[in-house]
Amino acid sequence: MMMKVHKVAGRRPYPPRVSAFTAVFWDELKQGRFKTTQCDCCGRQTFPPKVICPHCWSDKLSWVDLPLQGELYSWTRIHAAPTVFQPLAPYAVGIVELDKRLRLACPLIVPGGATVSIGNKIEMVVMEFEDGPLFAASVATAR
Amino acid sequence: MNRRVAIIGASALPVGKLQSARTDPIQVLEHELMVRIVRDAVSDAGIDKNDINSAVFTVPRPYTRQSYFHTFLTSHLRLRHTGVAMEVMGNGMTGALAFDQAANQILLGQADIALCLGINMESATPSYEHMMASMRSTGDVDFHTPGGFTPISWYAMDAMRYMHEFGATREQLASVAVKNRAHAALNPLAQYRKPLTLEEVVSQRPIVEPLGLYDVPPRGDGAACLVLASEDVAKTLGKPYTVLKGRGFFHEGVHQVDDVPGDMIAFGAAAAAAKAAYRASGITPSDVDFAEFYAPCTIVEILVSEAIGLVGKGQGARAAAEGRTRLGGDIPISTSGGLTSRGHPALVTSLYNLVEVVDQLHGRAGDRQVHDARLAVTTGELGNYNAAIVHVFEGIR
Repeated sequence: MMMKVHKVAGRRPYPPRVSAFTAVFWDELKQGRFKTTQCDCCGRQTFPPKVICPHCWSDKLSWVDLPLQGELYSWTRIHAAPTVFQPLAPYAVGIVELDKRLRLACPLIVPGGATVSIGNKIEMVVMEFEDGPLFAASVATAR
Repeated sequence: MNRRVAIIGASALPVGKLQSARTDPIQVLEHELMVRIVRDAVSDAGIDKNDINSAVFTVPRPYTRQSYFHTFLTSHLRLRHTGVAMEVMGNGMTGALAFDQAANQILLGQADIALCLGINMESATPSYEHMMASMRSTGDVDFHTPGGFTPISWYAMDAMRYMHEFGATREQLASVAVKNRAHAALNPLAQYRKPLTLEEVVSQRPIVEPLGLYDVPPRGDGAACLVLASEDVAKTLGKPYTVLKGRGFFHEGVHQVDDVPGDMIAFGAAAAAAKAAYRASGITPSDVDFAEFYAPCTIVEILVSEAIGLVGKGQGARAAAEGRTRLGGDIPISTSGGLTSRGHPALVTSLYNLVEVVDQLHGRAGDRQVHDARLAVTTGELGNYNAAIVHVFEGIR
């Protein structure tokens, strides 16, 4: 399943470093696919992707698709931001739970004027900046 | 182990904005402040400087120009150490870990007397600039920091979740800040001492929603020194001392956010560390007379009070609002004024908490004295309480 793309003007305020290992994640994200590592031995997924399974320490891993749908577990809106994020402030970030089995933290994309609430349905999307992608959760708000 | 650790002396600078700006013609130098505090603490202990075997420092902020600060300071005091001289770094847990290391010096028999000390200077660096460094600790620097997380944004998400699960109100959270300010008004070491109203706390500008300016810690500088000794030494001094009864530590193997869904606001590491500390001390939470937490935000004090069993799960916000955690309540918390009002010179914050414990247990806390205080508990943490260290103390008078 392809992720929706949310275009953002400008460059990423604090771009991630990319390793030979994490290049898979960022390259796939650029193509609209949200991936992580799954352990071939114990079967568990982890996020962010990791070079050995944190649960059983196996290094036999496969890249798998993550679910894109989930729920908002918690969130905040940051008003006091570090220097490079000040042009974006205030901005929302949150913790989302995908398919009730994996939790991650990321920026939130909130439709204008909408109210954010814990339990809101979310969908993982690509934030496409001029210099590369980040991942975010788009909040579906009740009208 | 029969050997027990005692705190026999303490001194600290009033917390405040002490750091000079880079362009100020006259600069405030860290070692000039620190040496006086060491001398005062050793004088308070009533021991000879030549009997000090070890010194465990908290690491200074990167803004402190003097490098190898602990070695440099040792030269200013001609301290000759046979145990250890070292700096400890552990993010928010730095002060509590430095104390733990100094206590271990005594327990291992490598020292009969050890100093635990440090200075934290940062207030002249604007928070948005300071956060350029601190944001790098807020999870995975490549997967979380690019999203704009800040250290206290995690506590804000704790607050949102807590309000959602237990129906706690913004006013209940704010009552912690009001209570701590009332305590700080009685503490000469506190940074902010003018009483606050609930309305003032709730009406402040938001910092990380739902937390406003007075729900989060102010920026501040400070320096503190504690003198530790074996109980055998402490007994010879003929005055009150504080015994370390037990400690517990737990790191849950998580950094900020657990990808395995669980109860984020249970602060499981604090619960596990407290359980171990109570067991080692032979006490239960109901025996505790007062507590000093590493609680940077109002919500954190609430969640820790629940996690370590001082109040029931989901009851912390109500307990604070009802005055149960105030001086005179059934379990006073942050009698120093806490991080929100006593102040939060982060790397030495836990040393200030210990100074408060000593003042209370030695019966010299003045107008904020907890009546008949005998047993105290302190906490230190890092991340979103992903790791916690808990110490239990008893006053011997």
